[in-house]
Amino acid sequence: MNPLNLMRLVAPECILVIFALTALFMDVATLREQSAKVRQWVVGSLSGVACLTVMIWIACIRPEGSYSMVELPAVSFLLKEVLLGLTLVTALISFDAKFTRHIGEYYALLLLAAVGLMLLISSNNLLMIFVAVELVSLSLYAMTALDKTSPASAEAALKYFLFGSVAAAFMLFGISLLYGVTGQLQLDAIAGKLQTQHLEPIHYVALVMTLTGFAFKIAAAPFHLWAPDVYQAAPTPIASFIASASKVGSFFVLARIVLAGFGSARGGAGWGHLAAGWVPVLAILATVSMVIGNLVAIVQTRVKRLLAYSAIAHGGYALMALLADEQRAVSSLLFYVITYAITVLGAFGVVAMVEHSGGRDRFSDFAGLSRRAPLLSFCMLVFLLSLAGIPPLSGFFGKFYVFTAAISGPDHLQAFWLLIVGGATSVVSIYYYLQVLKQIYVAPAPANVGSLNISMPAQIGIVALAIAVIVLGFAPGLLLGRLNDGLTLVASNL
Amino acid sequence: MSASDIIFYIFAALTLVCGILVVANPVSRNPVTSAMFLVLTIISMSGLFVLLHAFFLAAVQILVYAGAVIVLFLFVIMLLDLKEEQRRHVNRVVAALSVIVVMVIAAAIIWTIWQTKLGDGLDSAHLEGSLRAVGHLVFGKYILPFEILSLVLLVAMVGVILLSKKELK
Repeated sequence: MNPLNLMRLVAPECILVIFALTALFMDVATLREQSAKVRQWVVGSLSGVACLTVMIWIACIRPEGSYSMVELPAVSFLLKEVLLGLTLVTALISFDAKFTRHIGEYYALLLLAAVGLMLLISSNNLLMIFVAVELVSLSLYAMTALDKTSPASAEAALKYFLFGSVAAAFMLFGISLLYGVTGQLQLDAIAGKLQTQHLEPIHYVALVMTLTGFAFKIAAAPFHLWAPDVYQAAPTPIASFIASASKVGSFFVLARIVLAGFGSARGGAGWGHLAAGWVPVLAILATVSMVIGNLVAIVQTRVKRLLAYSAIAHGGYALMALLADEQRAVSSLLFYVITYAITVLGAFGVVAMVEHSGGRDRFSDFAGLSRRAPLLSFCMLVFLLSLAGIPPLSGFFGKFYVFTAAISGPDHLQAFWLLIVGGATSVVSIYYYLQVLKQIYVAPAPANVGSLNISMPAQIGIVALAIAVIVLGFAPGLLLGRLNDGLTLVASNL
Repeated sequence: MSASDIIFYIFAALTLVCGILVVANPVSRNPVTSAMFLVLTIISMSGLFVLLHAFFLAAVQILVYAGAVIVLFLFVIMLLDLKEEQRRHVNRVVAALSVIVVMVIAAAIIWTIWQTKLGDGLDSAHLEGSLRAVGHLVFGKYILPFEILSLVLLVAMVGVILLSKKELK
């Protein structure tokens, strides 16, 4: 294998690494004497330029050639662009943020986490996937603890780290068992072996353990316990990155593993027709996540914690998509996760702006926001209604595609019980989203607060996301078409 | 059961027992004792590598982990002058429940692995662990994960410096 060829395949990641190192070095070497504001603008803009450069690179250059551990289906380019876009907006909403003085390190970690996610999307080898997951996780743990003035931030980071390491251990043990029974790490080779082997209990143990690791990453109940604390205590831009970009990467690689790797150990999730395999595992995770996420969210009084429980619930909805046939499953799952990531990033952005003006994330801090910042409040309205799944916003179409995909699969209408759970819990979810909107639009503003102090880059980012949510709602085909194109190009396996 | 099987079980049991003693030593709460048990864990693990004919890995395991990393640990423990840890009060019901759950899961996994006879029929003559073979794999087939690991280490380093540095007001 030619090293130049390999470089060409991972060129976007290499460029981003170079930018991350530049950000780190520039801050240490040349900007030490400058004020925090100057450093923030210089390093922040550099990170923004990094994301844009790599996006343009990916749009223009489609590398040929292959390397055993990297496979780039057309859909991976689209996903990488989405990821970079999400990273870009995260960088925009961290402009003017006051949670840390280590600005170079913060942006470098952010870009390296994005590199890890991009590698995660490229890889079709379990070893690569594990290493990439670790790269992402370590950056996220460190960023969670970045706010050193807040003990809660350190506690959340420690909790995240401990849960994450245990989940990584499970994943690694599952992968090693899988290697033990198949002798392979390549996903397509594993699929080939599994087809010829008689499935024994050991296969299911390996499968469940691997899935446990990923269930932690996507915060599916009952592996969700870290999520509320991390979302609540981590600095808001970082929480938004964990909620959006890392979810997109983790869901894609989960879909790739179960569909491309474990295709023959599917099983069934029909009511009364449960059959051993990964489908019933995912169906149970989905049900528990939808119920716990939506019910616990009702009693929350902090917006970030509420968004955390809603993230758990949305993870459950997204898992339902995997019940469908391969192509349908991937396209509806990705549509759902991408629109969700855009929406939740925007919602966190608004929370960050409220916090930036001296508030916190309690409901009372949002009281009367519509008078203090009309544009932002409208954006929040769009985001929350889209999360609740109100037509014609993109969240509605995401849910619609996922629900129809779930019953179009091999289980047919026997999987209808999942739809009932999904539908009922969606109705419940409208209540708590409207609670927040009631504070913003109906509750009177406290007398002593002025208008919101909003940084320009953040406002541009948030408005762009709101426009994306509305446009994808009216024209879901824009994204869905590209997803389907991307998939048909590699119809054989993902 | 052949001789190498017996040696395997001895080393495996040693690894597990010492590993448990690192985190839950019933006699001593001294961090230095834990670090010493970590040395024992790593040495017994390198014994497992020797059984797999991975002599290079076994040597590196002892040189890097038992040698360098643990010495660093000990330095840090002694420089920080860590005292014996307080015994934490543990809720007995919760502890008993967790032990039961772990036992059940472990029993299920051990039973399945026992049933399957993992790795039966694998030709152990093909296992190669010489320096040359490892080098070929690391810098050939596995070059990309290897390079990503350098990024992982960079992130760990940046993270540790960031978190342990004293904030200057």
